[in-house]
Amino acid sequence: MTKILIVDDEASIRMLYREEFQDEGYEVIEAEDGHKLTERIEQDKPDVIILDIKMAAYDGLDLLQEIRQQFQDLPVIISSAYGAYKGDYKTLAADYYVVKSSDFSELKQKVRKALEGKVPSKKAP
Amino acid sequence: MQAEKTNKGAKDPKAEVLDWIEENPRKVRQADIIVGIPSFNEADCIPFVTEQAAIGLKTYFKDYRSVLINCDNHSEDQTGQAFLSVETDIPKIYLSTPAGVKGKGNNFRNLFRKAVDLGAQAIVVVDADLRSITPRWIKSLGEPLFQGYGYVAPIYIRHKYDGTITNHIAYPLSRALYGRRMRQPIGGDFGFSGAMARLYLEGQLWDDCVALFGIDIWMTTLAINSSYPAAQAFLGAPKIHRAKDPASSLGPMFRQVISTFFRLMEAFDQSWSQVRWSKPTPIFGFGLGETEMPPPVSVDEEKLYQGFVDGFKEYVQIYEQTLTRDVYRKTKEIAGLSYDRFELPPALWAKIVYDFALGFHLSVVPRDELIRAFVPLYFGRTGSYVRTTQGMELRVVEDYIEEQCLVFEETKPYLVDRWVTSKG
Repeated sequence: MTKILIVDDEASIRMLYREEFQDEGYEVIEAEDGHKLTERIEQDKPDVIILDIKMAAYDGLDLLQEIRQQFQDLPVIISSAYGAYKGDYKTLAADYYVVKSSDFSELKQKVRKALEGKVPSKKAP
Repeated sequence: MQAEKTNKGAKDPKAEVLDWIEENPRKVRQADIIVGIPSFNEADCIPFVTEQAAIGLKTYFKDYRSVLINCDNHSEDQTGQAFLSVETDIPKIYLSTPAGVKGKGNNFRNLFRKAVDLGAQAIVVVDADLRSITPRWIKSLGEPLFQGYGYVAPIYIRHKYDGTITNHIAYPLSRALYGRRMRQPIGGDFGFSGAMARLYLEGQLWDDCVALFGIDIWMTTLAINSSYPAAQAFLGAPKIHRAKDPASSLGPMFRQVISTFFRLMEAFDQSWSQVRWSKPTPIFGFGLGETEMPPPVSVDEEKLYQGFVDGFKEYVQIYEQTLTRDVYRKTKEIAGLSYDRFELPPALWAKIVYDFALGFHLSVVPRDELIRAFVPLYFGRTGSYVRTTQGMELRVVEDYIEEQCLVFEETKPYLVDRWVTSKG
């Protein structure tokens, strides 16, 4: 089963996403912040990550950099309440950027797209 | 300038061997890291770039053997003297093509050869006309090469009207084809490993256009299609150089870049036809604080529109032969619109680019003519983009360019179907 890791400090958002994606047949795991996130990824091996930007103790864009250094081709979708970060060059390291909304269709579409992507893999540095 | 040595007779199994002229005052025979500065008549600009690169090497790579190399096209304005006269602790080598041999790619080929001779692990290349380079650029472009990356492309802030070939063709097409998002595939400032230098020196798919301005896209495409991992370096400061108005001065460069691009598409079609969507490329070099904004670039929107309309009349027969019926009909309709109502949208533009790539592949008309006929359509798309983005902030424009890239990705099956069908 395809596994999604949701990294968001708001429990209500995690719950909403969990319900939506479980209904779609995904396995959903959660992290409430970025603490030992790369270790968690190593251990749980998610197929895709949905990552918040503004979390109480962590900056999602810094976490994104950490993830990219270790997991070059792991799909990461930024899900933020703020559209203003969209032009930040750091977000180019994400697969997609979705502004949080009560309509989940864009987020679901981006998850599907990220999982469908077929790009030759490179040897790790 | 006195020629110290030439490489006449050097062994190079695939690439055509050129003579070079070398001046190596400190007799450098080995190096770990090189900063290469390609040039042609840049005597007024190169001292600044040399100083900044030397500080970068001294500050961030002090434990490595380093060298600065100016690879020049036998400039008549004493670029080489200007380079060698800069006082630096880092040794310098001047390389030049023989008199009469021009081309940025030829300069690079000399650099590849010298990098291999010196046994370099990392090579950083920066343009000689840069006015905004800082020592950090050398760190950002060089450091990933010591961490196992084979190629490092730049990310810098550019004015929304600077880099129009990049924004409308090189970035969206490269990304859609090969599935790797590299924001500045023809940025001019790069890093590559010694292993990549050896691969480049083999001269695979080298031609006259690569020897000129096709070199950047050739290097990036070979890197993306190699087994070596690629990265991007965020350089913070905007790229400030001699920006050009696309309506006035990009003709030869456009032809050389696009011909190279289309030819490489033929070589790598087995690979790109299997690629779906795209993946980001790791980015290094953040944490530089507030980024500066680039200076304005003026664009003559009316000239772009006129270039499109006049060009459409001139090349209408080529368009009929190259574009699919639907794409031709829509393009013709747009060419008939008044200046006030004119718009060439991304979805149509993506199909035009794909039709031209296929037309080039099939040689529906002689290739030089085809590329000449492509220029007015590029003017049309650029003019339309200028109009759409006029009131937009740079960040919003970046988002708009990303959206255009998604359109190229979504439209890609149109290209793949036609390309495969053309093969029978």
